Amino acid sequence: MTQNLLSVQDLEISFRTAAGEVQVVRDLSFELAQGEVLGIVGESGCGKSITALSLLGLVPNPPGRVSKGRILLEGEDIVTASERRLRQIRGNDISMVFQEPMTSLNPVYSVGEQIAETARAHFNSSRSEAWERAIEMLQLVGIPSPERRAHEFPHQLSGGMRQRVMIAIALVCEPKVLIADEPTTALDVTVQAQIFDLFRDLQHKIGAAIILITHDIGVVAQMTDRVIVMYAGRKIEEGPVSAFITDPRHPYTRGLVNCIPRLSLDPSDDPEPLFEIPGVVPSPSDLSLPRCAFAPRCRNAFALCLEKSPPLLPVAEGRAAACWLETEKPG
Amino acid sequence: MVKSAPVVKSVLRKIASILLLLLAVLVLNFVLIYAAPGDPVEALVGEMGGATPELIAELRATYGLDRPLWQQIGVYLGNVVQGNLGHSLYYDQPVTTLIASRIGPTLLLITTALFSAIIVGTILGVFSAQRRNSTLSHFVTVLSLAGFSAPVFWIGIMLILILSVSFPIFPISGMSSSDGTTSTLGYAMDVAHHLVLPALTLGLIYLAFYSRLARTSMIEVLEADYIRTARAKGLSRRSVVYKHALRNAILPIVTFAGLQFGQVISGAVLVETVFAWPGLGTLAFDSILRRDTPTLLGILFFSSLMVVVMNLLTDLLYRRIDPRIKTS
Amino acid sequence: MSDRATEMPTPPALPTPTTVPEAVSPTRQTWQMFYQNRAAMLGLCILLVIIITSIVGPLLYTVPPREMVWMPLTPPGQSEYLLGTDYLGRDLLAGLINGGRVTITIGFAAAVLTVLIGVTIGALAGFFGGWVDTTLMKVTEFFQVLPNLLFAMVVVMLFSPTLTNIAIAIGIVSWTATARLTRAEFLRIREMDYVKAERSIGAGNSRLIWRVILPNAAPPLIIVAALSIGSAILFEAGLSFLGLSDPNAMSWGRMVGDNRPYILDSVWGVTIPGLAIFLTVLAISLVGDGLNDAINPKLRQR
Repeated sequence: MTQNLLSVQDLEISFRTAAGEVQVVRDLSFELAQGEVLGIVGESGCGKSITALSLLGLVPNPPGRVSKGRILLEGEDIVTASERRLRQIRGNDISMVFQEPMTSLNPVYSVGEQIAETARAHFNSSRSEAWERAIEMLQLVGIPSPERRAHEFPHQLSGGMRQRVMIAIALVCEPKVLIADEPTTALDVTVQAQIFDLFRDLQHKIGAAIILITHDIGVVAQMTDRVIVMYAGRKIEEGPVSAFITDPRHPYTRGLVNCIPRLSLDPSDDPEPLFEIPGVVPSPSDLSLPRCAFAPRCRNAFALCLEKSPPLLPVAEGRAAACWLETEKPG
Repeated sequence: MVKSAPVVKSVLRKIASILLLLLAVLVLNFVLIYAAPGDPVEALVGEMGGATPELIAELRATYGLDRPLWQQIGVYLGNVVQGNLGHSLYYDQPVTTLIASRIGPTLLLITTALFSAIIVGTILGVFSAQRRNSTLSHFVTVLSLAGFSAPVFWIGIMLILILSVSFPIFPISGMSSSDGTTSTLGYAMDVAHHLVLPALTLGLIYLAFYSRLARTSMIEVLEADYIRTARAKGLSRRSVVYKHALRNAILPIVTFAGLQFGQVISGAVLVETVFAWPGLGTLAFDSILRRDTPTLLGILFFSSLMVVVMNLLTDLLYRRIDPRIKTS
Repeated sequence: MSDRATEMPTPPALPTPTTVPEAVSPTRQTWQMFYQNRAAMLGLCILLVIIITSIVGPLLYTVPPREMVWMPLTPPGQSEYLLGTDYLGRDLLAGLINGGRVTITIGFAAAVLTVLIGVTIGALAGFFGGWVDTTLMKVTEFFQVLPNLLFAMVVVMLFSPTLTNIAIAIGIVSWTATARLTRAEFLRIREMDYVKAERSIGAGNSRLIWRVILPNAAPPLIIVAALSIGSAILFEAGLSFLGLSDPNAMSWGRMVGDNRPYILDSVWGVTIPGLAIFLTVLAISLVGDGLNDAINPKLRQR
C-alpha cells in the first residue's frame, strides 16, 4: 500500500450537551485504500453515522464538532479545510448515500433536476448537458425509461427507486469515496438485495472506494473487504472480513456475529437458542469512567476491565482488537 | 398520464364546494333575519323610520313574506342569484350598487397590506431561522408577540398620533385629498400617500404572524433530511437555503394566506374605520350606526365570496408549488 | 462460540452503569419549567393584578364610570381624577377599572364557549370518523370561511348588544381552530393501545371520549384555551370599538371608540384603554407561550 486515499487519524467528535461536552467518537483511526470496500459495524448510537458525516465536514455544529484529529483525503486535511473547499469535495470527491430514501430527496424538485444540479455544482456544464448526464445516471442505476422518470418527483417513486436516485446523485461526479450509511435499512428485503447488487456492479464500473456503514453482519460478509467494529464511539476491532466472520476476537464482535440465526435443514439439529448480547449500549455520558466501555455487558469481564480501558493492539497479521483478554490473562 | 385532467376535476370539485359554502352563508343570513327579534322586514329594509305602510306591504310581497317559510327562502335565494342583495333605505340604493362602489378601496388596502406582510415576513423569518439567537431572531419573537396582543384599531390610532399628529408625514384619514383636477399620476401618488398608514397598520398584524410562521417553518425545513442531502452534494449555501429550503418553507405560508383571508377582511373593517378609508369596512361601520341591516348582510355575503375566491386562488398556487398535490 | 469463553471466571458484580435520576412526575416537571420561565411568570403576575383590580377595584374606587364628574378632556394628573376625563367629563380611571371587569368577563365567557363548542365538535369528528367527521368538518370549514368579525357584527346587531349576546357571538365565530386541533388529537390518540384496551373491556363511546381520550388530549387544548381568552378579549374590543357594546356597561374597546373623534384634544383617552387591552392580551400570550414551552419542551428553541 502506497499512500492511502483516505486516512483518519485520532478522530474525536464532541457534542455539547446540558451535562457538558461529551465525546461521541474518540481515538478513531483508520485507512481506506483505492477501490477498497470498508465496513463499519456497530449498534445504533455507536458513533458510526456521525463519523460518516465528519468525513464530509457535515457534523452539525452547534452542538457538535470535530474536537481532535485529522481526516486526510489524499493528504489534504478535511477537518481544517475551508467551507469553500469542503463544498468542492462534497459530492465530487466524497459523496454519501443516506439511510432514509423516503425523506432524503427534496419533494418539490424532479429527480432529474436533483441529479443534474449536483453535476452543475461541480462541473462547468450547461443545463442540457447536466440533464443528459442525469438521464445517463438514472439508466446506470437501473431505472427503466429514464427520460420519463427524470421528470417525476420523489413521491411518485418507490423506496427502492428513490434509493437508486440517491445513488445516482452520489455517483454523478464519479467520486473517489462513496459513503453508504445503512443504505438499505429502510427498504424491503428483496429490494435490499437489488441495491447491494447495484453497489457491487457500480463499484466495478466506477472504481470508487466504498465505506459501508451497517449493523447487518450478513451485508458485511457479502460486501466488504475489511471491517471496523465500533462500540461506544471507539474502534474495538479491525480486520479482514473473513477473519471477522470466522474468528472474532473481541467479545462484543463475537456477540454480533453470533446474533445471526443460522438456518438448518437437518431436523436432527438442535435449534440453537438465539444469541443476544445482554444489556444496552451505554450512553456517551456514561463513558467518562476509565473502564472498558463494554465491561458492564461482557460475560468475560474481570477486575482489570473495570480499572482500565484496553488499548487497541495487534492480535494477528492485519488485525487489531481492544480487549484485555487478548493481551493480559486474568490473574 | 394526462396531466391536466385531475387538476380540472379537482378544481371543479372545489368550485362546487365553494357554491355550497356560499349557499350556506345565504341560508344562515336568512335564518338570522327570522330568528332575530322584531319584524323581518326591518331586517331586510333597515331602520323603518321613513317607511310608509304601503312600502312595507310592497316589500312583504317582494320578499314573499306572506308565503310559507320554505318559499321565502326560495324567493330570497332567487333574489340573490339575480344580484339583488336587498335595498338600503338609508342610501336609497340597491345594496349591490353600494358594495360595488366600495370594493376597490378595500381590495387595494387588503392586497397591499397582505402582500407586504407576506413578503417582508418571509424574509424576516428566513433570516432569523438561520441565526436563531441573533438580534433579528429576538426581534421576530417580540414582534409576533406584540402583533398578536395589540388591538389593530389601537395600533392605527397610535400610528396616527405619531406619524400624522406629532410628525405630520402622512394624512390622518381618507383616501385622497385631491379635488379631481390633478393628473392621473398625481392622483395615484396621493392615494398611495394616504394608503401608507392604513396598510402599515393592517400589515403589521400580519407581518407579526407571517414572520413567526416563516421562521418556524424554515427552522423545521432546515432540519429535514433533504437539506442534509443538498449540503452533502456540495451545493452552495445560497442554493441550499433559497432553492431547497425556501420552496418547502413557503408551503404553509401559502396555505395560511388562503385560510386567513376572512380574518384579514375583519381587520380591514377596523382599520378602515380608524382611517375613514372609503371601503367596505367603513360601509359596514356606518350600517351599524344606521341599523342598515341589508347592507351589513350584503357585505357579509360579499366578503364570504371574496374569501372563497381567495381560497381557490391559493389552492391553485399551492398546486403549482407542491408537486405532491397534483398526482395524489 | 470459542472455547475460551468457558474457562473464564464468572463476571464480577458490577455497579449499575447508569444513575437513575430521581423520579419526577411529568406534571411537576411541567410546572417547574413554567416557574423558571421568567416571561411567563411576568405575564402571570400582570394578569393576576389585572384580574384582582377588576374584581376588587369597583368596590374600592366608587366613582361612577358613566357619569360626568369633572371638566371634559382634563389631562391626567390635573384633578382628583388620576387619569383625567374624557370628552363627556367621565372619569377615565373609573372607566378603566369597570371596563376591565366587563372586558375580562366577556373574554373568559367567550373563551369557555369557544372551547366547549370546539372540543365537542372536534371530539365527535375525530372519534367517530366517517360521515360524522365529513359533515362536522364541512361545518368547520364553513365557519372558517365566514369573515368572523362581520358575522359577529350581524349577530350582535340583529339580537341587540347585551353582554351575553356578545359573548355568544364571539364563541360562535372562534371555535374552528380548537375543533381542528381536538380532532387531530383524537385521531392520533384513538389508535393508541390503551384506548384499544379500554374498548376491548367494553368501555362505551362516551366513556372513551370523555374519560379516556380527552384527558390525554388535554395539554395542547389547555394552551389553545389560554390563548383563546386573549383572542376573545381582542374580539370584544373590536366589536365595542365599532359601537357594538352593551350601552349599560363600560368596556375598554368602547372607551377607545368613544374617544377616537377627540384624539387631537385627548391623547390619553384613546391611549390608556388601548394599552390596557394590549397589556392584558400580552400577559395572556406570555402565559400561553410559557405553558406551551413547558408542555412541549423540545420545541423550546423555536
